[in-house]
Amino acid sequence: MNENKTFLGYDFVKGFIKENPTFALAVGMCPTLAVTTSLVNGFWMGVAVIFVLTFSNVFVSLLRKFIPDEIRIPVFIILIATPVVIVELVMKAYLPAMYDILGIFVPLIVVNCIIIHRAEAFAYRNRVLNSAMDALGSGMAFTLNLMVIGAIREFLGTGQIAFGSAVFPKAPLFEPAAVMLTPPGGFITLGVLMALLNIAVARVSKRKTTQSQSG
Amino acid sequence: MITIIKKMIGGVSVPDKKELSESSPIEFAGLPGELILFLSQHIGAPSVPLVKPKDTVKRGQVIAEPCGFVSVPLHAPTSGVIKAIEPRYHPGQARMCEAIILEPDGKHEPAEELSPAASDLDGISPDEIRELARQAGIVGLGGAAFPTSVKLAPPEDKPIDTYLLNGSECEPYLTADHRLMLEQADKVMFGFKGLMKAAGVRRGIVCIEDNKPDAIEAMKQALSAYDGLELAVLSTRYPRGGEKQLIQAVLGREVPPPPGLPYDVGVLVSNVGTAYALADAVLTGVPLVERVVTVTGEGVAKPSNFRTLIGTPVSYLIEKAGGFKGTPGKVILGGPMMGCSLRSLDVPVFKGASGILVLTKEQAVEEPILPCVKCGKCVDVCPMGLQPLWISAYAERELMEEAETFRAMDCIECGCCAYICPAKRPLVQWIKMAKADISSRRSAQKKS
Amino acid sequence: MKDKLLVTPPPHVKSPKAVQGIMLDVVIALLPAAIAGAVLFGFRSLLIILASVASAVASEAIYQKAVKKQVTVNDFSAVITGLLMALTLPPDVPVWMPVIGSAFAIVIAKQVFGGLGYNFVNPALAARAFLLAAWPLHMTRDWLNPMTYEALSTATPLVGFNVTGQSGLTLTQMLLGQRPGSIGETCILALLLGGVYLIARDVIDYRIPVGYLGTLAVGTWIFGKPGALFQGDPLSGILLGGAFIGAFFMATDYVTSPVTPRGRLFMGIGAGLITLMIRLWGGYPEGVTYAILFMNLVTPLIDRYVVPRYYGSGHDAVARKAAGGETR
Repeated sequence: MNENKTFLGYDFVKGFIKENPTFALAVGMCPTLAVTTSLVNGFWMGVAVIFVLTFSNVFVSLLRKFIPDEIRIPVFIILIATPVVIVELVMKAYLPAMYDILGIFVPLIVVNCIIIHRAEAFAYRNRVLNSAMDALGSGMAFTLNLMVIGAIREFLGTGQIAFGSAVFPKAPLFEPAAVMLTPPGGFITLGVLMALLNIAVARVSKRKTTQSQSG
Repeated sequence: MITIIKKMIGGVSVPDKKELSESSPIEFAGLPGELILFLSQHIGAPSVPLVKPKDTVKRGQVIAEPCGFVSVPLHAPTSGVIKAIEPRYHPGQARMCEAIILEPDGKHEPAEELSPAASDLDGISPDEIRELARQAGIVGLGGAAFPTSVKLAPPEDKPIDTYLLNGSECEPYLTADHRLMLEQADKVMFGFKGLMKAAGVRRGIVCIEDNKPDAIEAMKQALSAYDGLELAVLSTRYPRGGEKQLIQAVLGREVPPPPGLPYDVGVLVSNVGTAYALADAVLTGVPLVERVVTVTGEGVAKPSNFRTLIGTPVSYLIEKAGGFKGTPGKVILGGPMMGCSLRSLDVPVFKGASGILVLTKEQAVEEPILPCVKCGKCVDVCPMGLQPLWISAYAERELMEEAETFRAMDCIECGCCAYICPAKRPLVQWIKMAKADISSRRSAQKKS
Repeated sequence: MKDKLLVTPPPHVKSPKAVQGIMLDVVIALLPAAIAGAVLFGFRSLLIILASVASAVASEAIYQKAVKKQVTVNDFSAVITGLLMALTLPPDVPVWMPVIGSAFAIVIAKQVFGGLGYNFVNPALAARAFLLAAWPLHMTRDWLNPMTYEALSTATPLVGFNVTGQSGLTLTQMLLGQRPGSIGETCILALLLGGVYLIARDVIDYRIPVGYLGTLAVGTWIFGKPGALFQGDPLSGILLGGAFIGAFFMATDYVTSPVTPRGRLFMGIGAGLITLMIRLWGGYPEGVTYAILFMNLVTPLIDRYVVPRYYGSGHDAVARKAAGGETR
């Protein structure tokens, strides 16, 4: 599959299930657990990661022939740090409230495993377009994961889900469980979702094998 | 001198059920239709047959000769014709083993060469006793069947100061040693004195569990005829009669971990049956061709103790004991804690088999194995201070090296852990698996 | 042979004690405390107990059905979890709380790790900690006055005791449970009855409760009175709060406590020390839950290093000394 243009679509799609950064690869756990106390937090964190990931993947891929193998990790870090600084400054300027919430986790994207993992495992060995699709796929899957976890935790922990000015439901239906907003709640949500996804994947692949056997 | 010992590390108290057969005097079981004589009756190299099919043999005639130092000859238990030499299932080793099949002629005619070696112990030297023990095919009758002549010749640098006579018979149900001590106390004591003389040991201690007061009384009478003999009465608790446990309880010494042996701490231990067999060989010249076997259990009509020819089939002995009572659920060769359950009753008694136990259908239920709840009861009862739950957990997952670090090789397979386990886990079986794997790996290492 | 003989590995006789019977013993031992709770805090607490047990059993059955495992609710372990869970709740909590708590205990704390024997923390306590983190106000405010069943606006006596070192209750009041507190923790006599039953039936090891309560008593005596050493009230220290139910029924859970006798003593002492520290210097009024949960997590470590003395180990020690005596 390496150096193959025809699999662009696959490189985009694989990040959602097969190489889902959170649930299949278990990378980027730090922001996953720390900032997913609400849907909105998860969304903006995800957007920041999509931008950084695309930027770094494209540049790593462009420069892959020139980066010496021995010092590739430091070079990756520099290539990642650049977009991170851009994101940080933009966020500070236009989304100061969100920046206050995400805080340290924005600059920490520099050492986020997802970015380094995609750079090392994919962009360093593949063409620019494939790497860009890989980054978009992984980044969007990551964003989706964060939003799902954030939505579940926000709903159970506060009884409501807020997105912009829209709040659903208007009044909490039950007594919210404060624990869901704490790190243990994050771990429990993550664990349960990971288990459910793995069960689903196992079921599907089992059905596939039985189908291919019978057909 | 009588010492009473109650202390014991670990162990379980099992209902001993000795009342079923303890009042039945030892009777001669008679001659069955065929005798199955394994060439491998003992620990060590199997004997080599000296007879061919269709040969006629007499009682006490050597039919197989020892092969190597840790080996003993095998004798014909009665007169008759050799039918075949063929592999038969050996329940003790759980595999097919070469066996000599002997068809008795009913005359029970002794060989001419059988004659008493001496009438008392002054007339026989230690070397002669050792040689006699070997020629008479005597092995430890407690279960392990280690050649007695080898045991009586410990290395020069291991001085032996004490000899223990093991009459504790801690396995539930079994009463063979009990009856032997009660009925043949003098002869047992003579044999014990002979063993002591052969090993050059001055201090001898007879060890009996306190659930056999009549045997204690009989042995007390018998040992007063000799000096230097003591009696130790031990509280009833399984596995009281394990060699290592006995040494620990009576002398306060601990045998070093394997490959350590009792002689490393200056002790030898023999079973009362072994002492009796030696006395028989000295006083009558008859080699080890018969032993006392208890046939008992709730599933047997008339629980009995039989003087049984080696090689007698189990089915014959059960018939002799009145047959089954009700539907048998399980037939065990040996005691309930360490014996092996039989698939077929065509297997014979061998030198190390001390009993046949028949359990009823109701007693022989197979309980489902549950996950370990880590109650720690197996740790509490292990007389070797092991942690059976971890050893078996590793063995179950085939992590034998980890099992070894938890001292799997120290296990004496007494079965206390599996007895007490509330989840009914077959702990001993897993530990045995680990032991087999570890020793085969060790011997492979040694070879390479 | 008409019927087949059963062939199994030895031993061929087994102790009559089985897991199910042991679990039933624990249920029996908990009944006095449950009855005392129902009497002291009224019908409402009975409802909570029943809801909790029903939820625990139903959760186990549903989960095991869902993942196609054998349904093992008849081993009583889910009943114990539900019962324990309920007994540690304040009597005035809404009824949905024990239902959620027990479901959490069974599914999240027990079944997803493999079910009975594989959970690494006590399910009932894990669920209690979850409820405490989820709805802290209910868990620290919903007290009732015993016998009068009135809602109480003040904290339990333990809170005051931790600050002043004085309980303000008579010994009889404390033994009979005449104080606000969790449903099953207040009636010390009932708990003691159950605990002694379990020790007499050889279900639990006395070392855990004795080590726990002993450490807590000594610690309270030394540090229990603010500003003075050795003037604390050790009796109130162990009788107020949840130390008794924790020591006899929670810390002694087989799966999450050490397997060796010495290890169990360490477990008790450790739990006692942590309870004391949380009570006197920590942020929570009561530390039993977290103390035992912490010791649950330390249990594998204790099991690793606190091992029984094996037969013949003296020879190894001698050999080691002879071999390495000079290099040391």
